[in-house]
Amino acid sequence: MSLRSFTTRMVCQSRSWFRGVFHRARLEREMDDELGCHLEILTNELIRSGLSPVKAARRARIALGSTLVHKEEMRASLGLRWWDALWADLRYGVRMLRRSPGFTAVVVLTLALGIGANTAIFSLVNAVMLRSLPVRDPQQLVMPAWTAHNWPNGPGISSYGDCRPEKTSQDRGGCSFSYPMYQAIATHKDLFESAMAFAGPASIDVSGNGTASIAHGELVSGSYFGTLGVQPAVGRILEPDDEKPGAAAVAVLDYGYWKQAFGGSPSVVGRTIRLNDVLFTIVGVADAGFTRLTPGKAIDLWVPLTEIRQLGIPWGGHGADNGWWLAVVARLRPEISRTRAQAALNALFVNEALHGAKPAWKATDDPHLMLLPAEKELMGFRSHYGKPLMLLLGAVGIVLLIACANVAGLMLARGAARGREMAVRMAMGAGRRRVIRQLLTESLLLSFVGAALGAVLAYAGASGLAAFFAHNSFEPLRINLHPDARVLLFTIGVAVLTGIGFGLAPALRGARANMSAELKGTSATTTLRRRGRRFGLGSGLVAAQVALSMVVLMGAGLLLRTLDRLHSINPGFDTKNLLLFSIAPELAGYPKDGIPQLYAQLQRRLEALSGVVSVSYSSDAILDGGLWSGGVDIDGQASKRVHTQILSVGPDYFHTMRIPLEMGRALGSADMAPTERAAVVNQAFAREYLGGRDPLGVHIGDPNTPQWMIVGVVGNTKYLDLRSADAPTVFFPLTKGGATFEVRTATTPAAFGAAVRKVVNDLDDAVPVMQMRTQTESVDHLLFSERLVARLFGLFGGLGLALAGIGLYGLLSYEVARRTREIGIRTALGAQRRAVWVMVVREGLGLVIVGVAAGCGVALCVTRLLKSLLYDVRPTDPATMAAVATLLLIVGVIACSAPAQRALRVDPMTALRCE
Amino acid sequence: MTPGKQEKQIDLLQGTLDLLILKAVSLGPLHGYGVLLRIQQLSGEELVIQQGSLYPALYRLEHQGVIASEWGESENNRKAKYYQLTRAGRERLAGETLKWNRMAGIIGNILRATPEEA
Repeated sequence: MSLRSFTTRMVCQSRSWFRGVFHRARLEREMDDELGCHLEILTNELIRSGLSPVKAARRARIALGSTLVHKEEMRASLGLRWWDALWADLRYGVRMLRRSPGFTAVVVLTLALGIGANTAIFSLVNAVMLRSLPVRDPQQLVMPAWTAHNWPNGPGISSYGDCRPEKTSQDRGGCSFSYPMYQAIATHKDLFESAMAFAGPASIDVSGNGTASIAHGELVSGSYFGTLGVQPAVGRILEPDDEKPGAAAVAVLDYGYWKQAFGGSPSVVGRTIRLNDVLFTIVGVADAGFTRLTPGKAIDLWVPLTEIRQLGIPWGGHGADNGWWLAVVARLRPEISRTRAQAALNALFVNEALHGAKPAWKATDDPHLMLLPAEKELMGFRSHYGKPLMLLLGAVGIVLLIACANVAGLMLARGAARGREMAVRMAMGAGRRRVIRQLLTESLLLSFVGAALGAVLAYAGASGLAAFFAHNSFEPLRINLHPDARVLLFTIGVAVLTGIGFGLAPALRGARANMSAELKGTSATTTLRRRGRRFGLGSGLVAAQVALSMVVLMGAGLLLRTLDRLHSINPGFDTKNLLLFSIAPELAGYPKDGIPQLYAQLQRRLEALSGVVSVSYSSDAILDGGLWSGGVDIDGQASKRVHTQILSVGPDYFHTMRIPLEMGRALGSADMAPTERAAVVNQAFAREYLGGRDPLGVHIGDPNTPQWMIVGVVGNTKYLDLRSADAPTVFFPLTKGGATFEVRTATTPAAFGAAVRKVVNDLDDAVPVMQMRTQTESVDHLLFSERLVARLFGLFGGLGLALAGIGLYGLLSYEVARRTREIGIRTALGAQRRAVWVMVVREGLGLVIVGVAAGCGVALCVTRLLKSLLYDVRPTDPATMAAVATLLLIVGVIACSAPAQRALRVDPMTALRCE
Repeated sequence: MTPGKQEKQIDLLQGTLDLLILKAVSLGPLHGYGVLLRIQQLSGEELVIQQGSLYPALYRLEHQGVIASEWGESENNRKAKYYQLTRAGRERLAGETLKWNRMAGIIGNILRATPEEA
């Protein structure tokens, strides 16, 4: 058969099939008409040949045969038979499920929880990891990144978490480039349709639109929107001319920000606002569909990158030509391959890096430029959340397995009760396949109802989780949770697999119904079958649930221990009752010289608040997501350059933070004058870099900056995170730039937020307060992954445990009910009540122990996936394992006790009489 | 069609009903009973067709798109469903006819074979 005739046949058949399905009534009528017409013609002919009308009609009917059978075969000719059967099965299934509403509700709820949890986590995975860039033809976009054996010599590098962190420990890498390098890439019109550069976001002080507020602005090249193919929703987008020197200062708003901060008013175009105290004209709003470039980054507005100096943003030496501060994205020409473009750019880059005016590397550093697909390279928060999300996906998968096992157990028990029905069906000629199909249709029906309910739960759950993510992030975070085709397909796929997963075994068992025994009504009472049942499918399912719960609970236990260990780490300062907030007066147009006075005044006024113990400030807060590090020269000699953590602090800092002073003196108000040169180091610095020397009086610095003198040594503190070892740190006096204030309070710090904000506003209302948070919250943010996974593993483990407990309870209840007669006989023959109780509990606990043993085995294999999240706990920690096993046994005993109690109450006389 | 002739008639070979229906309707639109009559007439009243198997076959062929149907009026002003050949049906008929003739020739040759002296 040729392809053409095959396709026409396919088209004809599907058209005819759909006509049959959707115009069913007409089809039935036509079949009746057609057969009726045949009969009529035949009858008339027979009458004409001399038969009486009655005889003729009878003869004609005999000649044609049974119209019912013919119609059935005609339907089969149209391929409608399986559809009819399915439809009948579905109707029958709905009827059966409505007849046992309790069973249906339990199963649907169990499945809804299982499928809902999976859909929720998957929609997060989809939003964070899978969703493609919301721009035109994202697969055409490429992103350059460099690697070398060392950091480049000379340029300052600014990066903003856009791309994949460097993978190997020997090599350095990044995706920040200088403006001239970006231009060199952009002028390669033979390789790229266009290219753009971006940096940020920066926290920008917005005024001229109600009260001053903070927005997240990105500095971009004029070609930014053009390269991405993003259209304006209102007004215009940025254009290459906006980047030219001397161009007017303009800004484009994000759609969401426009709605939220400007009420979505179209008259916003042409309005002027002050950004960091510089006048900008709003020229347009970007398209609503353009929700992100880097995953998770929330951008409020875009300004041309040439405004960096005006805005006072220090990246790349305020956008100096030798600063590496721009991430670059280019759109490949369709006919150019990525490898070809990479070869061309690499040559350009290596030449510039090794033989340019200011070589950044030596040839031995082997610098390289790679051109990577932008969709892969733009990692953003993927690098952060990818791992915990994958772990969660694994955990919900296990929960779904538990739910399947649970429901399968229920179906088995119900199948036993329906054995008679199946036997009747098969006795009347239904084939085994037909019975299996009927039972599978019922389970698929259940799983789809469960999935529909689960989808609703999932949406609520995923929104809650996204809010939890955003609440615990140092940066503003945007997660797009709109359900899409991928999530829908996932849910349907899960529903189908689930339906088959829990329905197949009971269906096969149902089709094996022992016909004669069932019909005689003797099967349920034969004690012979009990022996075989002991380790039967139902028991295996319960043991499997226990084992799977064990795995998830083990993960939860390990993470809880990790959190416990992390919290017991001494950070070197008192994290309790400490309120933090940041201000950036310089960006708000505050005169530079006035800043030290502003800080001193603020410190005094805040200290005057009742309930405030003491106040200080620093360039960054420690354990707050930031880290500043750099090189200092011991004794001012370049040959003794060491790498150290750095923090600028105000007066009274160590006292406020409760960092102990070990030697010399702390920094006071007098040290804040620009002419003073006092610095403090921590013990790690003294120990590692100064050996046995007396640290006091040692000079540090480098030839460019004046010599600093160490006047004191303080205790070690954690800086970047709790896990890092204590590292050398230098504390300089803070004399310029933004600051984070630390307010030590006597009681709950969060309660002071409003009062503190008022003090700042009273002093100068043009200086907005940014990121009011407590130190405890910041530490929690640092432990986000651990807390997220611990919490959800705990939740899922608890869910699994509850399901397993219910499964065990159900199985034993069923067993006790089935063996009422046996128990009655035992009691009648003099068995102690205790012995009966022990018999039931032993059977239940036996299953739990088998499950726990299997769970331990599986846990030993899989818990090492958690390793990167654990701290000071081995993935196979025996104490955790023992604790989880004990928990499961306790739940096991509880689940067993009710059926066992019921077994005790069996009255021998009633039991013997009841059959 | 009358029962008396039944001894002389032979049953249809398996799988040939479709081919006969296609041939019958290729000569002009027919309703179901008409197809039956046409085949019987063409066979010189030699063939008997199970009346019941006719309609499933007609539906099958229409489902495959080789014949198409239309409601019209029968000789005695009754509503009847008329079938006729489609383009795909004509191709199918030609192909099947060719196949049938080849097969008949081959089988005929085999059956004519006589024992040879070794």
